[in-house]
Amino acid sequence: MKTPIVAFALSIIISLSARAELKWEQTTIELHPTAADKQAVGHFKYQNSGKTPVHFKSVHASCGCTTAQTQKDEVPPGDKGEITATFNIGDRTGTQIKTVTVETDEAANQKTVLTLKTVIPQQLEINPTFLFWKQGDKPDQKTITVKVGKEFTVKHLKVTSSSPDFQTKVEEKGNGEFQIDVQPQETKNLIASTLTIQPDDSQKVFYATARITNAPTVQ
Amino acid sequence: MSEQVTSVPSTISVQPSARPQFLWRIVDVIVAGIFIYAGVLKMVDPVQFANDIDNYKILPWPISVALAFYLPWLEIFCGLALIVRYFYRGALSILMALILVFTLATTAAKVRGLDITCGCFGHASQHWSFPAHLMTNLAIIAALVVLWVSNRLTKSLQGRRSAWGS
Amino acid sequence: MKFSLTRQAIMLAVLALLPAAGEAIYFRDKISWRSPIPPSESVNADQARAWGQNAIWVDARPDEEFAQDHVPGALSLNEDRWNELLPEFLAAWSPGKKVIVYCSSLSCNASREVARRLRKEAQLPDVFVLEGGWEAWLKQK
Repeated sequence: MKTPIVAFALSIIISLSARAELKWEQTTIELHPTAADKQAVGHFKYQNSGKTPVHFKSVHASCGCTTAQTQKDEVPPGDKGEITATFNIGDRTGTQIKTVTVETDEAANQKTVLTLKTVIPQQLEINPTFLFWKQGDKPDQKTITVKVGKEFTVKHLKVTSSSPDFQTKVEEKGNGEFQIDVQPQETKNLIASTLTIQPDDSQKVFYATARITNAPTVQ
Repeated sequence: MSEQVTSVPSTISVQPSARPQFLWRIVDVIVAGIFIYAGVLKMVDPVQFANDIDNYKILPWPISVALAFYLPWLEIFCGLALIVRYFYRGALSILMALILVFTLATTAAKVRGLDITCGCFGHASQHWSFPAHLMTNLAIIAALVVLWVSNRLTKSLQGRRSAWGS
Repeated sequence: MKFSLTRQAIMLAVLALLPAAGEAIYFRDKISWRSPIPPSESVNADQARAWGQNAIWVDARPDEEFAQDHVPGALSLNEDRWNELLPEFLAAWSPGKKVIVYCSSLSCNASREVARRLRKEAQLPDVFVLEGGWEAWLKQK
């Protein structure tokens, strides 16, 4: 009873690995852009190790923020090439995983998933990025906690408020942690402020919002 | 399916490949323990397990949910069956089928280039490398095969002995 | 009582179904059979519409898609221009409002990411992802 199962399993493994004409140098690329980079580019190199030309039927990225470029639609036997995946970082944070699905006319391996893993360095982790007081609430002080990313050192945090109606104060807690205390002058009017948070003399700034909101609507 | 457990000291053994039963019982319990442990880990967090199955991108989501609820219990029951020696061969074949299918799925995912970070020990094994997963699975398969063979040998041994009327 | 191997296997398989079904019932509120998004974080088009004026619609798609067409009154909030668009969204929000985030198809992750950031970074309560996304809205029209 065991033998047919083993034979079946072996045949699947063999068919999965053999006869794939397009050999990929890597199907997963990990990128580490700097904080200033706007894009992260992954070069997925391939070679046609088969005897017949391989034709790309479709190259499709998992999201609109990633574009994938093939240099050619048809790969003759023996030829090398690459699919260039460009990930537009935008205002994204953390580790972003985006995929590019490549469909070819190969016999065995029609679909290949190319994975672009981008580790975006996070200089500051701001929690929360939004403070609010309901209209009529007491204008109490509220706090934003800022944690500096492990690979970074920040000596000084400069916080500016776009509106004088909100007072801010920065405290250094040590161990890569800062505290921003925010207090509105009053909560009668629906005022708001954008807090610009600048680490040392860095070009890259971060934001938080403070505002007075409407009282909750009746459900 | 209870059996008469007869210890055959290797020195007086007529069949050179027969060994003391308790050695195999230990292997039984170890293998059963692994599956029960793995099953319980996945049983307590079916939401996470469903997501892990979905990551393989082989099955549609509703099936992943169904399997997330079902597979851990199947593992636990088969593990228990190995220990109490009831439905023994049935349990052994189910466990073998499970781990073979799982090993194939992991290999297929790797070939397709998917970043699979979960193994048969649920989310707890997510930091293991692919070779580590493969080695563990192959070791378990080997243990199951060995138990199967030993079970068959014991059966044929007992069969022959009763034929001799000893 | 000796059973054949197949019998044994079938019995074990059936036995395991019982606690599995029990668990499925126990966890029915924690997991949705229709989509990987937990039931507490998603809403279907009918429920969303029922919220009427109490809801704020958020379009998580790229700018070009938003410009072409979007849910009337929806605000654009995507990860490409998060820092620029977030304050505009927050200006429209007030406590008690329900936020509905959508993007262009069941497999698209943008709405889940935007919803996650609104919950985690802005710490807003009542943030939901629209089941079926933009397509579900179009079907309703």
